Amino acid sequence: MVLSTASDAENAEKKTSGRDIKEDSKDQQQGAATAVTEIPPECLIRHPLQNVWTLWYLENDRTKSWEELQNEITSFDTVEDFWSLYNHIKLASEIKAGSDYSLFKKGIRPMWEDEANKKGGRWVITLNKNQRRTDLDNLWLDVLLCLIGEAFEHSDQICGAVVNIRTKVDKISIWTADGQNEKAALEIGQKLRDALRLEKNQLQYQLHKDTMVKQGSAVKATYVL
Amino acid sequence: MSASPMARQAYSHATAIPTRKILVTDASQMPDVYSQTPGGTLYSTTPGGTRLIYERSFMMNLKSSPLSQTPPKNVPTCLLRGQPNTPFPKKPSPVSRSPPKMDDQEQFIMDL
Repeated sequence: MVLSTASDAENAEKKTSGRDIKEDSKDQQQGAATAVTEIPPECLIRHPLQNVWTLWYLENDRTKSWEELQNEITSFDTVEDFWSLYNHIKLASEIKAGSDYSLFKKGIRPMWEDEANKKGGRWVITLNKNQRRTDLDNLWLDVLLCLIGEAFEHSDQICGAVVNIRTKVDKISIWTADGQNEKAALEIGQKLRDALRLEKNQLQYQLHKDTMVKQGSAVKATYVL
Repeated sequence: MSASPMARQAYSHATAIPTRKILVTDASQMPDVYSQTPGGTLYSTTPGGTRLIYERSFMMNLKSSPLSQTPPKNVPTCLLRGQPNTPFPKKPSPVSRSPPKMDDQEQFIMDL
């Protein structure tokens, strides 16, 4: 997306990249049933979200402690403000290796230590190098939309989501509040599998307390979908 | 936005939320109050409280809305699309934010 000082309405008409054109034409087909007016009525209001969400960015810097690496970027509470942010910031595949984006409910820090995460765990999707080009950005966007749109029955159990960009493997994880709540964890996992059209065994649930003591593939999977 | 705990208990079982679709053919059919949706009020009472749920396709349609194009404030340049991946700006050190010390300054003498 090219940044310009043109008005919002002009920006909306400009399709600066081929990717956007493709996505928009797909969207228009889906929205074909709604009547065409000058400005679609749903574009006149901002749509409030159930929760306020905060975007965090972590950048590797050996001179800082881990907690200092997390940078709180901004918060939003409408669908339109989400898109305003998403339309302007770098895609996950474009940020530096060693960096993370995290989206958490406002008030929850993207750390195991946070009160809301302490007893929790995460559904992890591990992506190989090639998938950064083909799948990563689409999967991350779909995870974000599941979160802000409250796609889960147990959405009160959702804390946030993280995408780790690393030299070897990228990871997308969805953090939930209570690892012992099997029913909620499995419902969230199933919904993710459907929404992201994942294949079998691509989703692993790890408790934060297990991740804390072990590294990488040695971490025990509490549930697998 | 959500019902009281008492009301939640009364409706502990799952109940389908009645929905209806309203087709808007002209902008004049839109309510003139922002808190209303075409055909009724957005914040109606549902068992166990109201939750704002949006489907993916609905949100994707809003991606190109004029309201979704506003450049975000306070986002560092290095995170904006099309900008080089320069280091993330360091937070100003807490020392510089604290007010200057007044201890060793002499108190002024008031002329009477």
